[in-house]
Amino acid sequence: MQLEALLEKYFGYTSFRPGQKEVIEQILMGNDVLALLPTGMGKSLCYQLPGYIFNKPVLIISPLLSLMQDQVDQLKQFKEKRVVALNSFLNAHQKRNVVQALHHYRFIFISPEMLMQQQVLQKLNTMELSLIVVDEAHCISQWGFDFRPDYLRIGEVVGNDNRPPILALSATATDKVVGDIKDYLKMKEPFEYIHSVDRPNIHLTKFMFYDREDKIDWILRHTTETEGPGIIYTQSRTKTEMISEKMLQAGLSAAAYHGGKDTLDRQFIQQQFINGSLEWIVATNAFGMGVHKQNVRQVIHESIPSNMANYMQEIGRAGRDGKDAVAILLYAEGDEDFARFIGIDELPNEVHIEIYDNYKVRNEPPSNMINNGEISETGFRVLNYWMNQLSTNEVKNVLQNMKNEKLQEVNEVMRIVKTSQCMRKMLVQYFGQNLEKNPDNCCSACGISLQEIINPRQQVELGHDEMSWQKRIEKLLIGNL
Amino acid sequence: MIFQQILMQIFHKLNQERTISAPFHLLRGKRSGQTIQDVGIYQLHHFFGILPKLSRKKYDEEISLLIEKQFIRTDEAGSYELMNNHIEDIGNLPFDGWHYRGNEHVFFARLSLIIQSLSHKKAGQMSFIPIQKDEVIQQWVKNFLLINNFQEGTIHEQLMAEMIHSLENTHIEEKVKSIIINRLAGYEVAGFTWQQLSFIEKVSEMDIQLLYIAGLHSWLNSITSQAEQYPLLNNVAQNVRINIPLTGSAFQSTQLFLQGYSIEQISKIRGLKISTIEDHIVELAMNEPHFSIEQFISGRDVQLVLNAIEDYNTKKLKVLHEVLPHLTYFQLRLVLARGDL
Ligand SMILES: Nc1ncnc2c1ncn2[C@@H]1O[C@H](COP(=O)(O)OP(=O)(O)OP(=O)(O)O)[C@@H](O)[C@H]1O
Ligand SMILES: [Zn+2]
Repeated sequence: MQLEALLEKYFGYTSFRPGQKEVIEQILMGNDVLALLPTGMGKSLCYQLPGYIFNKPVLIISPLLSLMQDQVDQLKQFKEKRVVALNSFLNAHQKRNVVQALHHYRFIFISPEMLMQQQVLQKLNTMELSLIVVDEAHCISQWGFDFRPDYLRIGEVVGNDNRPPILALSATATDKVVGDIKDYLKMKEPFEYIHSVDRPNIHLTKFMFYDREDKIDWILRHTTETEGPGIIYTQSRTKTEMISEKMLQAGLSAAAYHGGKDTLDRQFIQQQFINGSLEWIVATNAFGMGVHKQNVRQVIHESIPSNMANYMQEIGRAGRDGKDAVAILLYAEGDEDFARFIGIDELPNEVHIEIYDNYKVRNEPPSNMINNGEISETGFRVLNYWMNQLSTNEVKNVLQNMKNEKLQEVNEVMRIVKTSQCMRKMLVQYFGQNLEKNPDNCCSACGISLQEIINPRQQVELGHDEMSWQKRIEKLLIGNL
Repeated sequence: MIFQQILMQIFHKLNQERTISAPFHLLRGKRSGQTIQDVGIYQLHHFFGILPKLSRKKYDEEISLLIEKQFIRTDEAGSYELMNNHIEDIGNLPFDGWHYRGNEHVFFARLSLIIQSLSHKKAGQMSFIPIQKDEVIQQWVKNFLLINNFQEGTIHEQLMAEMIHSLENTHIEEKVKSIIINRLAGYEVAGFTWQQLSFIEKVSEMDIQLLYIAGLHSWLNSITSQAEQYPLLNNVAQNVRINIPLTGSAFQSTQLFLQGYSIEQISKIRGLKISTIEDHIVELAMNEPHFSIEQFISGRDVQLVLNAIEDYNTKKLKVLHEVLPHLTYFQLRLVLARGDL
């Protein structure tokens, strides 16, 4: 059968998105593939469809539990029952059952930690896999803070001679990181599909302010005058509450979103945003992953992000339907200090090294640092890896370098803020690519007219639906009111 | 505001005899002897454990506000003093923390997943992302739906009728009923966030949550007291209400006691201190209205204790013991545990 027909049969899509077909064809020929596809381009399909073509399980290594859950949910929505997630959420009993039946699944999601466990490895060695997917493959690189030491060992674990093809996936990666991925995964002359990071339908603009307060006023004015749906990114939880509160008072439909919200609240917000009853989300960078809303028209950064990868990922949530959208960056004098603070906040420092050593001296497992609230989990992972590789003094150097790198990344973002050149060109070049063509209304430097991209706001009265609680119960249980 | 009023009600009941932290432990439902006994002594059952996740930071913030507004004054030792300023009283919200202790959230989680499932079923949408992530809840709901033959589609109407009828017979404000129902979601019906509810009702998010919890307690009491009228809901409320609220160890001691063993014997059998067993008996006295304390203290002595409480306006054990030295602390605590003084 034609690939297109299979696509339609299993997923109901009529055509491939750019890159998907190329990647899948290579996989079917048995080649290793490295694919860099911007967020929202449909990376997951690159292994989902092969899962139905091969008659052997696909193993997907994925670093984040929430991401894994999201992908499992996504497949279940397509009525796939033979999908499982092997991660630390499972208790010992569940784990044993899953591992025993592992060969029956079509899609096996696994965390790198689990992959290293004897029991799991033994089982995998007895099985024939059709494909090994390494999702978020940039986590393998020591040069990023997303670094997952366990990723380094994937190559050893799956690297025997008659292994199935490896598909390494990531959104964006610099040349250095791409090199690391190929090395550590021991990929065999992989086919590389590198999609342009440029998103021509996202128009880039920035506004400068003297005073931080002025940014809030600007947002209020802007959101009362123009239409969403939109996301406003800011750095702190309190700010998400404060800004959304003001927007609500101004009669707009807005909600705050951050990691401290309870799980029901987070789902309600996503559901409202997707069904269109909620127009604006004011969020920390906790918002976005797993949210597939096609028609986001505006992404506003109230504060500058801490690095270019975040910026790219966050503005990438706009205009997934391919229609025009705008990314607005607001900057007030001194904002970079806060971005730096956020950037290095979770990074371990000399104090952590000292505490780590003290634990060792006391013969206490240093991992207790996490439970004792002395370090974040990510921070510990990095620290622990290096402490096992190098001497204390060398680790100090490594961490100092990482810190400098972090600070350097804020400077990169600042270059976009300060430049009088094309923002798009700078962005694309940062990721080691060349901009082929500037779209109309390209950016603040090339010239942009917001009115041509976003619509003026229609005045709508925003009474919340005054349904009685009895009616609401009826609507939930009986439907169609 | 509701939160501060609750704090003030607790401070009043504690009669300036406990520290500024006592309400914190009470609200979080701390299972220490001290907190549990205070519940009986000061009749604080309904507030026990209504906010199991209350953070110290949040609590301290609210206390600072009370101090700022001059409702209370504190000293370095951690005790507090009530000032003459009176906070506007909200009356009694129908909390029943003693019997639920956070389990009301289990009830609601089950209900919300049931509703979400039935709502999608009705719309012919068999796959959706479950709104409750807890595996135990998911498993429970799966069983519930199977046992009640949800495929046949008759459970929808029955559940609707039970919900509407039981809520109509629950004595809480209409807005509280709306708050609870607005936290449910289904096919193409999104729930309301706390922030949105707070904006609609014009009270803080904390207060909305308190209204919600009080509302759930009240609703659950209607459901469980009329079990035969609401078979489905009563099933959803399974094991949610704690009818004899005793902690594990106290439960074991009192079991032995009710089998006829003496305090000394229980102490030997269980290898626990006499005073610990006494704590357990006091807990039993507090929780079991039919338990007679007269086996430990004569009616005349009980009256003496009650008089002393009245005369000296205190429930402090130390003071009472000075006034009535012939009674043991254990006897005094039993009288206090009876509470309804
Ligand atoms: N060929 C296609 N046609 C239509 N829709 C598609 C196609 N491929 C994928 N999609 C949809 O696009 C959305 C994004 O896909 P996916 O989750 O794989 O994105 P992603 O690239 O992994 O992005 P993210 O980093 O946000 O997870 C999904 O809703 C998916 O169903
Ligand atoms: Zn440009």
